[in-house]
Amino acid sequence: MFATVNWRHLLLWAVFAAGMLLLPELVKKGTLRTIIMAQYLAIFAMSWDFLSGRTGYISFGHPFLIGIGAYTTAILSYRFGVPVELSIPIAVATTVVGSVLFFLPALRIRGSYFALVTLAFMELMYQLTQVIRPDLTGGTRGISGIETLTRGAVNGFYLSFVLMFVTAFVLWLLSRSRLGTALSAISMNEDAVAGSGLNTTKLKLFAFCVSAAVAGMGGAFWVHYLGSIAPRALFDINFLFTIIVAALIGGASTIIGPMAGAFFLTFLLEYLRPFLPGAERYLIYGGIALLIYMYQPKGLFEIVSRLWRRA
Amino acid sequence: MTQILIQGFLLSGLYALIAVGFTLIFSVGRVLNLAYGAYLVIGGYAYFWLSQTLGMPKIVGVLLAIVLGAVIGISKYRLIVKPLKGDHVAVEISTLILAVVVQAGIVLLFGDASKILHPIVSGVSRVGGATVTYNILTAAVVSWVILIGLYLFVRFTHLGRALEAVSMDVKGAAISGVDPDQMNQLTWAISGALGALAGVFFASYTQLYPGMWVTPLIIAVAVVIVGGIGSILGTLLVAHIIGFMEVISTSLIAAELRGVFTMLLIIVVLIIRPKGLFGRAEL
Repeated sequence: MFATVNWRHLLLWAVFAAGMLLLPELVKKGTLRTIIMAQYLAIFAMSWDFLSGRTGYISFGHPFLIGIGAYTTAILSYRFGVPVELSIPIAVATTVVGSVLFFLPALRIRGSYFALVTLAFMELMYQLTQVIRPDLTGGTRGISGIETLTRGAVNGFYLSFVLMFVTAFVLWLLSRSRLGTALSAISMNEDAVAGSGLNTTKLKLFAFCVSAAVAGMGGAFWVHYLGSIAPRALFDINFLFTIIVAALIGGASTIIGPMAGAFFLTFLLEYLRPFLPGAERYLIYGGIALLIYMYQPKGLFEIVSRLWRRA
Repeated sequence: MTQILIQGFLLSGLYALIAVGFTLIFSVGRVLNLAYGAYLVIGGYAYFWLSQTLGMPKIVGVLLAIVLGAVIGISKYRLIVKPLKGDHVAVEISTLILAVVVQAGIVLLFGDASKILHPIVSGVSRVGGATVTYNILTAAVVSWVILIGLYLFVRFTHLGRALEAVSMDVKGAAISGVDPDQMNQLTWAISGALGALAGVFFASYTQLYPGMWVTPLIIAVAVVIVGGIGSILGTLLVAHIIGFMEVISTSLIAAELRGVFTMLLIIVVLIIRPKGLFGRAEL
């Protein structure tokens, strides 16, 4: 399972990139916009998966991390006129610092309790953004009119694709390394990993920081794609649900899984729009997610690869 | 001052009622039911539909909402929790998905807009400068009665002791002739019924809207974590801590900050004492 990197893998990555880059020539602008949303969701899902899918520490607070990144760059560029080239790196750094806060509880608690603390972090952030310095955060309404990086669907697509591709490739290389093996081992038996002489605290901290950096980067670029930000759209259980479900439906602790899951769910949501315009879509969406999850907790990746082996 | 005391006690009673069903599942079933808030939504809407749309007597609406909650609790256990065989992560995630599905279902049936629920028990009286609606007074009294009843049930009845045995050690209980499966099912039914009842009162205290499951879930989580698993005394005490913190911060500091202290309490207590203040053991 942990074969080293060889030319065949690289070839597959190259074919994937080439195929994706051809898309703007093949599909309509509207579809391209859906793909952009799917790509940002894929980045968030991969970030969640690198922490929770691999180490088994389920985070219910990923919107907290994404929100730090998004709000930092939004406030810096909109309120203080900081150029985007500077505000995005600052946003990523702030998110990593914020993730250390996130990390402290994980030193002492495991399992369900960790999930609950992270959920509390997300709700705390939601309430604080509305109350503390609403002149900076825009309060309940949020901020709109934030500088956008790209114009038009095609450029937006190239930017989000590059972000997703680089994230996927780097995370894939990390997961192929000895470090990735150790992280997966933590989800199986943390005490055994510690017993074999590895410092699990350092390993977990590493996973947290990588996950946070990806989440912060995704959040920062996302806000500069959308041009607006609001607390209820961000620190929301529905958003959290979409991220987790994308990672799990696709297949946790794989790279292709969260990406496939993000595309599957975004397009499902989009195709349901003509029939059910509002929040009712989540009924079918959630129902399908629940069925797939109950049938195969390892997700579509496992279902497809089983069919492959049988064929 | 009297006002804060009275409102604090009343709100805390409501919170204890919300938390007790959640705590039961957490201690007996050893799983985190993130769809607990869905009982409150379902209970609230069932009552709304029965008594305000169909015009049934209020007490019938409340009773039917409770029965519906119990039925949903049992089906949740049968269809989702049991097939997952106690895999904590899987149960957490599938109940989270379920909660979102229920919310969407409610939007489909009743629409997105929030609804005002008429008080279940109407009437107001003024005690020492504080306005006390009979509605929340009833909720607080019902909550106390249920908590005391539950305590007596667990302590002194055969069934209750079997329930406690399962919460302590499933295998040990099975060896002594208790059927853990049956006990779990009973717990899910009670939890669902209590959740639905809490939902009726909570909805009439605030408003009825599809997303109303998040706040009570967080309150229940806070009460259970800070109070410790399986401690009815802890549940009662912490519900009062949280209720009073909310009332004090609403009336003395700022109304927007009411939820912030609850979150901070969860985070601080979990970091300092991962087992909660009165907890028995970790999950």
